[in-house]
Amino acid sequence: MARKRLIVGFILSLATIFFSWPGTQTAQASCGSVSCFVVIGSQQQVPQAGLLTTNTIYNYTPMRLLGGTSGVIPAVLQDQRQMILDHHQETRTITNTLTFDLNYGITDRLGVEVTIPYLWRTHHHIDGLGEAGANGEGEPTTFNANSIGDMTITTKYNLLPTLRSMTVMGFGVQLPTGSTQKKDSVGEVMEPSGQIGRGQVGLIGSLYQTYELIPHRLNEFAFGSYRHTFRNNQGYQFGDEYILNAGLNLVTVPWLVLSAQFNYRYLVHDNVSASLYRSATPADAPDFPGEPVAIDPLIASRQVPNTGSTYFAFSPGFQLSLDGLADSAWTKMTSLYFYSQIPIARDSNGNLAQGTSFIFGLTHSFQMTKPS
Amino acid sequence: MGVRKSNIVFVGLVLLAALTALPAFDGWSMGSRVPAVGMQVEDFQLADLDGKTQSLSQYRGKVVLVNFWATWCKPCTTEMPAMQASFDKLRDKGFVVLAINELEDDARVREHIKQYGHTFPVLMDRNNKVANQFGVFGLPVSVFIDQEGRVQEYIKGGLLTEQMIDDVVAKIQKQEPVRAAALR
Repeated sequence: MARKRLIVGFILSLATIFFSWPGTQTAQASCGSVSCFVVIGSQQQVPQAGLLTTNTIYNYTPMRLLGGTSGVIPAVLQDQRQMILDHHQETRTITNTLTFDLNYGITDRLGVEVTIPYLWRTHHHIDGLGEAGANGEGEPTTFNANSIGDMTITTKYNLLPTLRSMTVMGFGVQLPTGSTQKKDSVGEVMEPSGQIGRGQVGLIGSLYQTYELIPHRLNEFAFGSYRHTFRNNQGYQFGDEYILNAGLNLVTVPWLVLSAQFNYRYLVHDNVSASLYRSATPADAPDFPGEPVAIDPLIASRQVPNTGSTYFAFSPGFQLSLDGLADSAWTKMTSLYFYSQIPIARDSNGNLAQGTSFIFGLTHSFQMTKPS
Repeated sequence: MGVRKSNIVFVGLVLLAALTALPAFDGWSMGSRVPAVGMQVEDFQLADLDGKTQSLSQYRGKVVLVNFWATWCKPCTTEMPAMQASFDKLRDKGFVVLAINELEDDARVREHIKQYGHTFPVLMDRNNKVANQFGVFGLPVSVFIDQEGRVQEYIKGGLLTEQMIDDVVAKIQKQEPVRAAALR
């Protein structure tokens, strides 16, 4: 029933969009990291024909335990195809992402975008609950890894744009270019949810719209996307992701735009093809601490507990047009921007939850070919 | 818990659609395709800075440069001196410039025109209707229209120079008038 409502909602949305032509366009000015989804206008729009817009974005995303949650989650051992319930206790994750985004206008309406993230991830947890340590308390484990992440290629089409509005439909393919074999401090392959890459292709549909409420002064924007990732070769499938953003941009002076947006993300739980075990408990004495106990040795498709989440945040920010501040070849078509994403409501199913994150970015445009 | 989340997503999707429908309440907001060269341009009427209504058809018989611009658009204001120079040189030779300002208030536009000493007609497209008629969604756009009201050039981006304008006008004025087959 829930799925039917989602499908109906999506169809209704598309129908309304197709039968309500947009007004005027704002040529204003998504983030590369999977856990950061602030709308950046220069990324979402379709540039003019022959114009290449580049964004270099640094993103800092911390994840910690919410008060009242234990952080005890299952371990997913990729190579052994095992899921062991209550085997890890999460402490924190910090992800630094540097994203290089290229957005090119093939025609005035059709564009292509390539997003290339590079991630540095640090993760701490206690591994081997019920198994390691004198009293089964586990052992602290760290994970430090960095590499290129999963690249995304998106085709975008600007539906009947005008000077006051823009509606851009996008279809993207996320490629499994990120590593899925990075190891932790004890030499074990880190589980999929902590790896740099997802290990399988993902498909992303998106819709971005913007309308100038007060021309060249105040505009509103909204963005929605849906991502589906296929099951990877280790039997792990990341859950579907739904994102909805909406906000306002205010042009205060020609070189300074203030922005505020709300971000909502709903992540469906992950799924794994694995056998099912549980960590040993004191009730298993004298085999405690000891090896995990088999519940179902058959490799079957199973929902991964403590995955999936709901996240709602407020993201204020600003964009500084260097063009408006200084007249030179270096500052032409160049802007700096900063956003902070502040969580308002979070439900992470007992797992780590995203805290306040920060984005710094630089955008610059190049006219590659003369417009016809 | 799962049903509540899907409700939120459902409402969110409908809201997103509603936001996209927002511009549809503005009746003139439909954007048209870019007019092709040779196409007859539909007439339009706009008020100038003196409040007088001017129409494209009143300039029939002249080569008209219709230029869409705004004061905040740097490429627009950069090419306007070239438009002024050509207007000064060719206004008595069957050429006129119609500078159509998009979505700004009269006071700001008047101040700009006075500051830069432009004398060609400036028309105010306050509700974006004429821009939509010409398929304009980025500024500046320059459209050269011949003596019979047909599009001869459609130029996007701030590329106009005095020489270019002079050359285009000369080319249009040299062209043989098109005769319908039935009249031959």
